[in-house]
Amino acid sequence: MLSVKGDENMTSVGTNEAIERIVREYSVMLLRLACTRLASTADAEDAVQDVFLTLLSSRVVFRDAGHERAWLIRATLHRASDIRRRARQKDLPLDSALQVEASEGISPDADIMAVVRSLPEKYSAVIHLHYYEGYTAKEIGRLLGLPAATVGTRLSRGREKLKKILKEDDR
Amino acid sequence: MNREKYRTAIDRLSFSEDFETRTIALLREKAQPAAEKENETMKHAKHIRTLWQTAIALCVVAVLSISAYAAANWLTPSQVANRVNEPTLAKAFESEDAISINETVETGDFTLNLAGLVTGKGLKPLEQNVDETRTYAVLSIQHTDGTPMTVDDMPFSTYTLTPLVSGYAPWTINMGTLDAMVTLIEEDGSLYYLLDTKNLEMFADHTVYLAFFEGFVPNSNIFTMGEDGTISFAENFTAPHALFELPLDESKADPDAVSALMESLNIPDAEISD
Repeated sequence: MLSVKGDENMTSVGTNEAIERIVREYSVMLLRLACTRLASTADAEDAVQDVFLTLLSSRVVFRDAGHERAWLIRATLHRASDIRRRARQKDLPLDSALQVEASEGISPDADIMAVVRSLPEKYSAVIHLHYYEGYTAKEIGRLLGLPAATVGTRLSRGREKLKKILKEDDR
Repeated sequence: MNREKYRTAIDRLSFSEDFETRTIALLREKAQPAAEKENETMKHAKHIRTLWQTAIALCVVAVLSISAYAAANWLTPSQVANRVNEPTLAKAFESEDAISINETVETGDFTLNLAGLVTGKGLKPLEQNVDETRTYAVLSIQHTDGTPMTVDDMPFSTYTLTPLVSGYAPWTINMGTLDAMVTLIEEDGSLYYLLDTKNLEMFADHTVYLAFFEGFVPNSNIFTMGEDGTISFAENFTAPHALFELPLDESKADPDAVSALMESLNIPDAEISD
């Protein structure tokens, strides 16, 4: 059962209202986040659906909306990385994965997404949360359980790596 | 790449139009059978308190080697709390009510040290920033071969630290239902998890564990639960893992609080004491 405290009434995820609220509120954000690890939007949808199913079965209780969001973000990154690792274990090279993306036509900006995905998770996650979701380093630290200084370092190094990759691509 | 270019790329991602509708339908379909299955699980999860479970001394169990590793170079829990700007918690870790554990386990490439915890009463005199209804614990990690570790070696999405309670399935009572969060810091080549969870003392008449493992949400592929409620790692779970038993004072158990928690979680309280 999923509940969020802080509201007047704790809501069970077993209720239709809670299920609908969670899915409606977080789906898009989590799908985009999953795409920082996964080349295929179909895989991203599988990952996020798995996260919701895990949430349903693991009876999570959240102290507030921030905790709820943090849990979902961590769970999505974990599941997306898991799917990615398994694809690699099946000897599906990353380049092939990118070709899959191109063939599925999921984004005209596939190059940018491919570059972001080529970064280690520790960089791509903070870059996405900062540059797309607009979180500060301190907020990302709370979401990911890291000191703000570590997040700042990762943002900085992630940016450097992105610049380097993009420069190489321009040659 | 600038922010706008990145945002545009993300905005152009296209997902199934019916994703939300499909997912909601799937979750609704799964919700009821899952609740029924859980009720059945709890009916069988009768907790039988055994003598060894009542021992105050901490044991460390698992398919792990237990070493007398001299952890002279670990930060103390108080120092860890100070590193994450929690001076009040740091004081709590230095109080008489704090529980020093300092037990070490080697697993995979890691040497883990459960340094100590502070909970309930130990937090009561403190006025700010720490919550007496919580339990705080510090787990330290080093590479066994001595090579320095950084937070990058312990991705938050790969490793999990969670409380577990005998008699309650790990997939039922865990970091999710116990409202646990961790903060990870590095210092001089070692890593430190600061765990912040619901007050574990309420379960003190059970064996209360702190489990570390490679994975995320506890499930039946990772853990098994014996008929007496004892929790252990699955035999075929070979990834790095450790299971510490916490030396909580049994007299601090609060069955009413446990019942209230179970009620709030809509879990039938199947705990049966001897």
